[in-house]
Amino acid sequence: MQSSFLNPLVITWFINSTLHFSTPLVLAALGGMFSERSGVVNIGLEGMMLMGAFMAVVGTFFSGNPWIGLLAASISGGILGLIHGLISVQMKGNQIVSGAGIILFATGFTSFMVFGIWGIRGITPSVRQLPTVTFPWLGAISPLMVLMFLMLPISWYTLYRTPFGMRLRAAGEDPSTLDTAGVNVQTTRLIGVILSGIFAALGGAHLSIGFGSRFVELMTGGRGFIALAALIFGNWNPLGVVLSGLFFGFLSTLQGSIDVLPEFSFLAPYVQFIAMIPYVSVIIALGIIRRSIPPKAIGVPYIKEREG
Amino acid sequence: MIEEQKELEAELVDAVAEEEEGAFENIFWRILTELGWALGSIIIAFLVSALIMIAIGRDPIVAYSALLEGALQSPDLIFAWATPLILTGLSVALAFKAGLFNIGAEGQLYIGSMVATLIGIYIFLPIIIHPFVCLAIGTICGALWGLVPGLLKAYRGTHEVVSTMMLSFVAILLTEFLVSGPLREPGTPFPQTMVLLPTSWLPNVFFSPILHAGIFISIIAAIFVYFFLSRTVSGYEIRAVGQNPFAAEAAGINSKKQIVLALLMSGGLAGLAGAGEILGQYRRFIIGWSGGIGFDGITVAVLGLNNPFGVILAAVFFGFLRAGAVAMQTQAGVPVEMILIIQGLVVLFVAAPKLIKWLAKQNFAYAKWIVKKPTNALPLFLTAILSLTGAFIGFGVGFANLRSDLVFTAQLVGIGALALGSFAAILMKRREGFITALLTSIAWIILAVLTVIYHKGTLAIPLSILGVIGVLLSLISSFLVYRKGILIGGVL
Repeated sequence: MQSSFLNPLVITWFINSTLHFSTPLVLAALGGMFSERSGVVNIGLEGMMLMGAFMAVVGTFFSGNPWIGLLAASISGGILGLIHGLISVQMKGNQIVSGAGIILFATGFTSFMVFGIWGIRGITPSVRQLPTVTFPWLGAISPLMVLMFLMLPISWYTLYRTPFGMRLRAAGEDPSTLDTAGVNVQTTRLIGVILSGIFAALGGAHLSIGFGSRFVELMTGGRGFIALAALIFGNWNPLGVVLSGLFFGFLSTLQGSIDVLPEFSFLAPYVQFIAMIPYVSVIIALGIIRRSIPPKAIGVPYIKEREG
Repeated sequence: MIEEQKELEAELVDAVAEEEEGAFENIFWRILTELGWALGSIIIAFLVSALIMIAIGRDPIVAYSALLEGALQSPDLIFAWATPLILTGLSVALAFKAGLFNIGAEGQLYIGSMVATLIGIYIFLPIIIHPFVCLAIGTICGALWGLVPGLLKAYRGTHEVVSTMMLSFVAILLTEFLVSGPLREPGTPFPQTMVLLPTSWLPNVFFSPILHAGIFISIIAAIFVYFFLSRTVSGYEIRAVGQNPFAAEAAGINSKKQIVLALLMSGGLAGLAGAGEILGQYRRFIIGWSGGIGFDGITVAVLGLNNPFGVILAAVFFGFLRAGAVAMQTQAGVPVEMILIIQGLVVLFVAAPKLIKWLAKQNFAYAKWIVKKPTNALPLFLTAILSLTGAFIGFGVGFANLRSDLVFTAQLVGIGALALGSFAAILMKRREGFITALLTSIAWIILAVLTVIYHKGTLAIPLSILGVIGVLLSLISSFLVYRKGILIGGVL
């Protein structure tokens, strides 16, 4: 079949693929936003996604129900978030070290466990996918993709219109004021980090049981870092994060289209440049044009004055 | 707060003085103790790995003799592996000295190697001069790749971990583009460039087909880094910034300049590593040739205790493991990945004291407590670690048996949950955690006996060792906590 730009099938494929690639990025990046707006750097997103992707398959495999898999993924992500929170908030440790530890742990754990449970290296058997509904122009939509779009208003409302969101932002900007107002800074930050773990794991689950139907060793392939890039490029606010997540997802689709659509094959030599855009845009946003301004107290453990 | 500031300044003076002192008076004693510690760690790591091999049903004696034999049969392979690892290890160690974490050495290495390849292929230069030009410009370009994060860190406050990581991805993709597009040798199935002009090759040395002159460059670089850090003003200032940037600033050191300089040199060393490997080993740029030499630099630096000569020893040790790994796999059936476990354990044991000191500096409350009151803190801390290990083993081995033996899984997961509970209780500063740890250890011993009875023998040895150590540690800890009334976490 000769495809063309205006062919509805091609457009549907493009939109659907973009949504598929964006969902894990947007979910993980929005989760990371809750953590970083509360003042805790989370470079462990990659590890949390990987763990979510793996546990989703484990839950689905043993229960036969992908929704249980989704539950298992979010619980595992929440636990990783809790660990990161305990180390970096409660024990006042270095957040980068803790995040790197989360990545190493998740990589080792998932790779080892695939072998441990199924006795095969690197890949699990196929499990049931999440159910999908097919829409005209949009293609097959899975529940996590719907969640991605619901998350934009929900996270915006939570962050800017609820007392909790206010506290979260205060914990990241000026924790001592929040403390003076009688709110427990550490609990607030802990909740932020746990939320980030849950959403990153759901993003990972989309890779394993939403987009595909199995877990492959190291299947996130650096998407956690791209989510981090989307978070920074989106300037730590929900709309920016969703838009940059969609943009980075679109870039992935563009890379995929080179193999599928002959019109795009002229891009084939430059595929690495397309893959490079997220990383370069972060360096530019952070360093050169200084568009992205992180929360003020990010990366600094909060120590009460009488403690210090 | 003022007191704290004073304390910090005193700490800085002490720390720098300690290093200075070591350079003059008791240097031999210090080297001896550190070597002894490293040797002890290696022995413990091999013992623990032997236990793991027993657990997966392999014979550790056969495996280790194969490893030794394999490595000693080709000593040149050991040093060929060590050549780039020394340089990337130095790169990470130098950044560490300034208190910076350069996780982008891999990217800097790729940039250096790509530039060296370009000059090696397209520029005609006489013999002898050609490789030096390649190395020099490769180093400069690697340094430039390190300069960007340095500037961002110093003048924009961007965390160097984020920026070196992102730039590393950019570098890898950029070289991938060049080698699979414009520079690709026509008609090859695998993306690689043409072979470099023979004038640019680094010669092989000692009549070996794999060991090249880069080994001398690596050793000279280590000596250079040693002299730079210990005998120059800049080196002193970099170390001061690494010890305590505020105190260094107060002492009139321009910490921004030193941060930029440290990351610049760190990038240069990684670039040199890449250029040297291309000129001496591969003689063309092959896609993905490094396979993580830059990342391994981190472990080499940690094992070498950030000391240039320690880095050389650590790199040689890693080279030894890699040179023997294949023989170990073919003769003893132990997967090559085992050397990663050995490597990780060695690093863990060697680095433990430094790691705790460093974590104390990074404000980890527990680490501070261990540094200040080791006799009280260590038994309690080790009990917590052991509980966590037990939880891992319980859940891990339990899940692994999920499909074959449900009862065994339930036992393991049950004890694992108990262990996790005691770890959490200790973390929450509850005394009950140690009694739970004692119960868990007894349960491990019972399970070990049960595995012997029901002929699942391979796990019995690790489980009983876990149990016995656990009983001892948790008894000591319970005694400290209940009789001596020591508060968990200590009073700081």
